[in-house]
Amino acid sequence: MTSPPGAAVTVPALLLVLAVVDGAFAGFRAGTGRNARIHKHDHDLRAAGRGVAVSMAGLTVTAVMLLPQAAQRYGDLIEAGTRMLMVLTPYALIVALSLVAYRLLPMRQSTLMILVGLGPLTLVRPAVVVTAAVAAGFGSSDRLVWLAAATAAAGVLIVEPWVHRRWYREPL
Amino acid sequence: MPILEISDLIGVWDPATGERTPIVKSDVVALLREAGDRRAARIVERMPACGEFLDPGAVDHLFLRVHTELQRLGEELHMVQRFAELLAPVLAAVRSHGPGPLRVVDIGCGLGYAIRAFAASAVLGEDVELIGVDFNPVLVAEATRLAEAERLKCRFLHGDAFALAEPATVYISNGVLHHFPVSALAGFFQAQNRPDTMAFVHYDIAATRLAPLGAWVFHRARMREPLGRHDGVASAKRAHADSVLLNATARLDGMDVFLFEPMRYANPFCASMRPVVGVRPELTGELHRALGRRARGLVRDVPTGPGR
Repeated sequence: MTSPPGAAVTVPALLLVLAVVDGAFAGFRAGTGRNARIHKHDHDLRAAGRGVAVSMAGLTVTAVMLLPQAAQRYGDLIEAGTRMLMVLTPYALIVALSLVAYRLLPMRQSTLMILVGLGPLTLVRPAVVVTAAVAAGFGSSDRLVWLAAATAAAGVLIVEPWVHRRWYREPL
Repeated sequence: MPILEISDLIGVWDPATGERTPIVKSDVVALLREAGDRRAARIVERMPACGEFLDPGAVDHLFLRVHTELQRLGEELHMVQRFAELLAPVLAAVRSHGPGPLRVVDIGCGLGYAIRAFAASAVLGEDVELIGVDFNPVLVAEATRLAEAERLKCRFLHGDAFALAEPATVYISNGVLHHFPVSALAGFFQAQNRPDTMAFVHYDIAATRLAPLGAWVFHRARMREPLGRHDGVASAKRAHADSVLLNATARLDGMDVFLFEPMRYANPFCASMRPVVGVRPELTGELHRALGRRARGLVRDVPTGPGR
């Protein structure tokens, strides 16, 4: 597999953006169902921020692990990242569309988006992340690539339970 | 076999005194096993006990966690907007028939989300007194705490849905009807047929074939408590058919009763929740006018037969 032109920059940048956005939503979900107040905009923002922070900590672990050998294996890593994006990007686009539809559609149709879109998409998210990690390692014999993919996936999947247990174990 | 909800079995209070009834854990487990619900039995088996009784503190805590999560579901399903869509025209119709104090009472209010949201937005008007009533004193106390924390003009009381102490211009409820057996529904509606009452709006899960699957996905994705996930699906399985709800209101004197946007008259995928609406006959015309095109959704008759 050959990476597209400019991939050396765009692939890590896109993965970073996805990790930040996913972390924010994971943090948001970790805090939901724990605050029964009517006005909880600040609560939601704080939870999202905590999600981003934990997500960045996970990414840092991956980056530190890769750093010593990143220069020599950059090409392999970019190819793995490209395969990862091939799985994650369609999912992210569908989630984004569902969210936009939920926000913009009239009340009844908006509710429908929760039932047929955002609910099921939340359920399949762990499977999508694992699939992306498997795709990243697929066709590569480099153990560093495998380790990086596994660490990145674990870092993404740990955000919601971590934030929930650390800050939102009980109702506020 | 009966479909049971764990929450109905682990929290019981004397309707007259409000005193809690101690619950023998093994009795609940046996009841759930008898009903063929081994998963529910396992959930109760894991609950803390004091001797042979379920630990009341742990049960109260569980109720708070589950109901806080339940509120999130209500928010995502836009339940407050759904209520307001009907309540605003109902109250406008009442006002057009003369001035007077207006009071909306939410029966089985839980944490009082709808009442607190109405109070926060004043969407029903500043002249409407807002009260929530629930059988569970822990939820009443928590609803009161939450309202006080946000300085909301509403209050919450302990009460029995079948012997309402609080008069109301309009009674409402959300997700309460399926907790009652068919034989009790007529009594529930009759308890609200009081001289001062002008209307009621009771939302519940639409009894469709897809409802249990939808409830499973929705609760699995949004709720963490095993009890909440279990009861959410059981609720959908227990939901009353449209014809059952209308039959239960058949002997209500002086009330016009409708279903609003039931399955056969709406996009079935958007009809996850639909209400039974009752109004005094003198308000029916006004309500139709106030609803405009939406009034087509008010249906008096639905086909009888199997609900699903």
